[in-house]
Amino acid sequence: MERTKSHDSQYASSLIEASLDPLIALNIDGKITDMNQAKVNITGVGRKMLMGSNFYDYFTEPQKARDVYTEVFAKGYITDLPLTFRHTNGKLTDVLFNGSVYRDNKGKILGAVVVARDMSRQKWALELQVANKELAFQNEEKIKRSAANKELEAVSNSLKLASQYSLSLIEASRDPLIVISPEGKITDMNEALVNTTGLSRMELKGTDFLDYFTEPQKAREVYQEVFAKGSLADSPLTLRHKNGDLTDVLFNGSVYKDDFGKILGVVVVARDITEQKRVAKDLMEAIVFAELAVTIAEEAKIKAESSTLIAETAVKAKQQFLSNMSHEIRTPMNAIIGFTKVLLKSDTSPKQKEYLQAIKMSGDALIVLINDILDLAKVDAGKMIFEQTPFKLEASITAMLHLFEPKIREKNIALLKEFDKQIPVVLLGDPVRLHQIILNLLSNAVKFTNKGEIKVGMRLLKEDEKSVTIEFSVRDTGIGITENKLNKIFENFQQASSGTSRIYGGTGLGLAIVKQLVEAQNGTVNVKSKIDEGSTFGFILNFLKTKALAEFESNLLEVDSEIKNVSVLVVEDIALNQLLMKTLLDEFGFTCEIASNGKIALEKMKVKSYDIILMDLQMPEMNGFETTDYIRNTLHSNIPIFALTADVTTVDLDKCKAVGMDDYIAKPVDEKILYSKIVSSVKKSRLGGEISKEEIPIAPTIKYTDLSYLIQRTKANPVLIMEMIFLYIEQTPSLVNVMKQSWKERDWSSLYAAVHKMIPSFAIMGISADFEDMAKKVQDFAKNQQQSDGISNMVNEIDNVCTKACEELKIDLNRYKNIE
Amino acid sequence: MKMDGKKIKLFLVDDDAMYLKLLEIEFLQHADFTIDTFATGELCIANLSNDPDVIILDYYLDGVDKNAINGIETLDKIKSYNPALPVVMLSSQDKIEVAIDCMHHKASDYIVKSETAFVRLQKTITTIFSYKKMEKQLNWYMDRM
Repeated sequence: MERTKSHDSQYASSLIEASLDPLIALNIDGKITDMNQAKVNITGVGRKMLMGSNFYDYFTEPQKARDVYTEVFAKGYITDLPLTFRHTNGKLTDVLFNGSVYRDNKGKILGAVVVARDMSRQKWALELQVANKELAFQNEEKIKRSAANKELEAVSNSLKLASQYSLSLIEASRDPLIVISPEGKITDMNEALVNTTGLSRMELKGTDFLDYFTEPQKAREVYQEVFAKGSLADSPLTLRHKNGDLTDVLFNGSVYKDDFGKILGVVVVARDITEQKRVAKDLMEAIVFAELAVTIAEEAKIKAESSTLIAETAVKAKQQFLSNMSHEIRTPMNAIIGFTKVLLKSDTSPKQKEYLQAIKMSGDALIVLINDILDLAKVDAGKMIFEQTPFKLEASITAMLHLFEPKIREKNIALLKEFDKQIPVVLLGDPVRLHQIILNLLSNAVKFTNKGEIKVGMRLLKEDEKSVTIEFSVRDTGIGITENKLNKIFENFQQASSGTSRIYGGTGLGLAIVKQLVEAQNGTVNVKSKIDEGSTFGFILNFLKTKALAEFESNLLEVDSEIKNVSVLVVEDIALNQLLMKTLLDEFGFTCEIASNGKIALEKMKVKSYDIILMDLQMPEMNGFETTDYIRNTLHSNIPIFALTADVTTVDLDKCKAVGMDDYIAKPVDEKILYSKIVSSVKKSRLGGEISKEEIPIAPTIKYTDLSYLIQRTKANPVLIMEMIFLYIEQTPSLVNVMKQSWKERDWSSLYAAVHKMIPSFAIMGISADFEDMAKKVQDFAKNQQQSDGISNMVNEIDNVCTKACEELKIDLNRYKNIE
Repeated sequence: MKMDGKKIKLFLVDDDAMYLKLLEIEFLQHADFTIDTFATGELCIANLSNDPDVIILDYYLDGVDKNAINGIETLDKIKSYNPALPVVMLSSQDKIEVAIDCMHHKASDYIVKSETAFVRLQKTITTIFSYKKMEKQLNWYMDRM
C-alpha cells in the first residue's frame, strides 16, 4: 500500500511535469505551494524562489491575477481567464487560466490548482520539447527523491495528500492525459480525455489506446515510438468522440519507469489543437476569401473602367453621328428648299404654288429641327462657345421682337416690352445666344397664346463693380401648363402634353435648348404657370460690364428701306449654293455676282466695285482665307467681307477675324440674318466712308426712267421687259465707271466708246432726252476734244442719272418678278 | 416676207447688249425670222457657215474692247466670204462720212440707231429681198434672151 501510494504520487508528479502548461498550486493566501517546470520556464524564476511567493507577482496585471485566485476559492473553479505572464527577461506570454480547488478527505479546501494554457503556439511547441526533456530528468529526480524519502513513506497521509494533489493537478489540465501500459491499454486518464472521447473512465480504462483515433496505425506508431525513444514530441493525431466529433491533437509523451528503471508505461499528453486548426482554417479561408474578394474587386474595376470607356466612346460616337448626320441632312435640305424657292418664282398655277409652299415650310421646319439638335449636341459636348462681345441689350432685344410682329398681328395679340432702365446700356455677353434663348421662349409664347398679350421683361437683380445679374421673363396669357408637367418640359423632346405637338406642332427641343444655353452660362431657368391663364418663363443670367461701345449695334437691325442698290459678290464654289445665294440676294433686290473661287473673285474686283463680299471658306484654287488676306493686304481694300461657313467653330471664327473678315453668316443661311447683316454693314460703310453724291437726296418724286417705250416695243411682255431691264442694270454701271475713269485719265477713245454705247439706252429706258444730248456732247468732245466747257459736269450728271435709273429699274425688275 | 417658204435667217451683231436685245425682241415679234445674235464681229464671222440671209452689223464694234475688230473690217470679211450676202450697217452716228464709208465697203444700207431704226431696218430688209427677187427674175429673163 505504501509503495503504491508512493508510486502513485510519483506517477502523478510525472504527469504534472509532462504538461507544457504552467501548473500552479496555491494555498488559500495566494502563495504558491507548488508548480511544474512549465511555470518555471514561463516566469524564468527558480522553483525555490517561486515557492511561497505571491501568485500574482508574475503577471502584467497583478490585480487581475489576484482576482483569478480569489475567484477560484470563491467558486471552486475558473475557466479560460486571460492573463499575461511576465518572464524575468521581460518576455510576455498570454495564457488562459483554468483552475479548481482541491480538498482533503473531509472536504476542507486545501488550496487551488490552476493551469495556465499558453496561447502562443510557437512558444508552446518549443517549451513542449523543453518540457519533454525535463520530464525525463524529473522522473529520475523524482525517483531519487522518492528513494531518499523512503523513511518518510510512513507518513502515508502526506503521501496520499500528495497523490490527491497531483491528481487534482492532472484533472485540472484541459489537455487529455493518458497513461498507457506497455501493451497499449489505457491504464489511467484525466477528465479531459473523458470529455474528448465522450466515454466514461470505466469504459476507457483497459481499452486499447488505438481505438480512439481515426488512424489507429499512426497512433500505434506514435506509442511505439515513445517506447522506443522514451519520449515523443508533437505528433499530430485525431481523436474520435463517440458521437463522431473529431478532435485534432498533438501528442507528446514519455515513458515512466519504476524505481528499478523498468518501463511501467507511457504518459501521453494530447494537446487539443482543434481550436488552433479552426483558427488556422478560418484564417486560411479568410485569406482565400480576401484574395477572392480582391480579384472580384479588380475584375469589377476593370469592368467598370471598360464600361466607362465604352460609354464615353458611345457618347462621342453619338455626338459625331449627330453632327455628321445633321450636316449630311442639311445639304440636301438646302437643295430642296432652294429649288422650291426657285420654282415658287417661276410660272406656277395657284395650286402648284400652294404645294410648293407646303414643301418649303416642311423643309424650313426640318432645318430648324436639325439646327436645334446640333445645338443640343454642341452643348452636351461642351463645344458650345459663348462669345463675350459688347452689345446693347435693349436695342438688340427690341430689334429681335420685330421679327414677331407679323405673327403677333396675325393672331391679334399684344407684344409688350418692359425694360429696367437701370440696366447698363452696353453689356458684355453673347447676344446671339441670348437671342436664341428669348426667340425660343417667345416662339412658344406666341404659339400657345391666342388672345391677350405677351410681355418680355428685363429686370436688374444685382449690380456690382464688375457684373450685373439680369432676370429675363416672357409672360403670356396662353393655354398654360399643368403643374405635374412643369418640371418635365425642360427635358429633351418633352411637351406639356402628348397632344401638344399634334395641335401646336414643334419638336419639344426648344425649352431643352433654352435650359442648356442658360445653364451653360451659369444661369438658371424657372417657370410658373396656371392652366388657361398663362405661363411665365424666366431665366437669370450674369453679364460683365464693359466700357467698350457695342461694336456691332445689333445683328438684327431693323429693316432699312433706304438701303438699295447693293451689289454683292458671292464667292462660292458649289453651284447649288451659288444659286441659293443668288435667289436670296435677288429677293432682297440686291445685285449679285458669283465667283467660283477666290481667283475669279479677285479678277471681278478689278473690273467692278462691290459693296460687300460673301465668302465661302473652302474653295478650290484659292480659299476664303487666302482671298481675304489678298484683298486686305495686297488690294488694301476695306470692303466688308462676310464668311459663309457651315460649321461654326471658334477656331474658324478666330481665323476669319484674324485674316480680316468682318463677320460670318452660318449656313444654311437665314434670310433675315443675311439681310440685316448686309444692310447694317453697307449702311455703316456708306455712312463711315465718303458720303457719295448719289446719297444726297434729290427730290424723290422725280422719276428718271419711263418704261412706256419698252412696254410698247415689247407689247408689254414682262419677260422681255425684265430681260431688257436686267441688261441695262448689268451693263450700265460698268459703262459709267469706264466713262468716269477715262474722263479722269483723259482716255478719249475709251470715253467715246463708253458714252457712245450708252446713248441708245437713254431712249430705251425713257430717260429724258436732255441726258442723251449731254451724252452726245461728251461723245463729240471725246472725238475732237473741242469745247471742254461743262463736260465734267455732264459726266457727273450722266453718272448720277444712270445710277438713279438703275435703282429705279431694280425696283421695277422686282415688281415684274413678283407679278410673275 | 417669206422667202421660199423658209424663215429668214438673221444675224444681229452689236457690242451693245441692250440694243442687241431690243433688236432681237423687235424682230422676234415678227415671227418670220430666226435670229442669231453676236456681241462681236469675230463671233459673227465664225458663224457665217450657218448661212444667214441678212446680217445687221453695228459700225462701232471696237469701242469698249480695243482689240475687237471694227464694223468695217467685219463687213469686208463677210463680203469676202460671200459677196452676195446683204449686210445692213447700223450706227449711232448720223455722219455722211460713215455712211459713204459703209457704201464703199458694199454695205446694202446704212441706218442710224434711233427710235425709228427698227422700222427702217424692216423696210430695208424687205427692200433687199424684193431687190434680190427682181435681180433673180432679171437674171432668169436675161438667160432666156
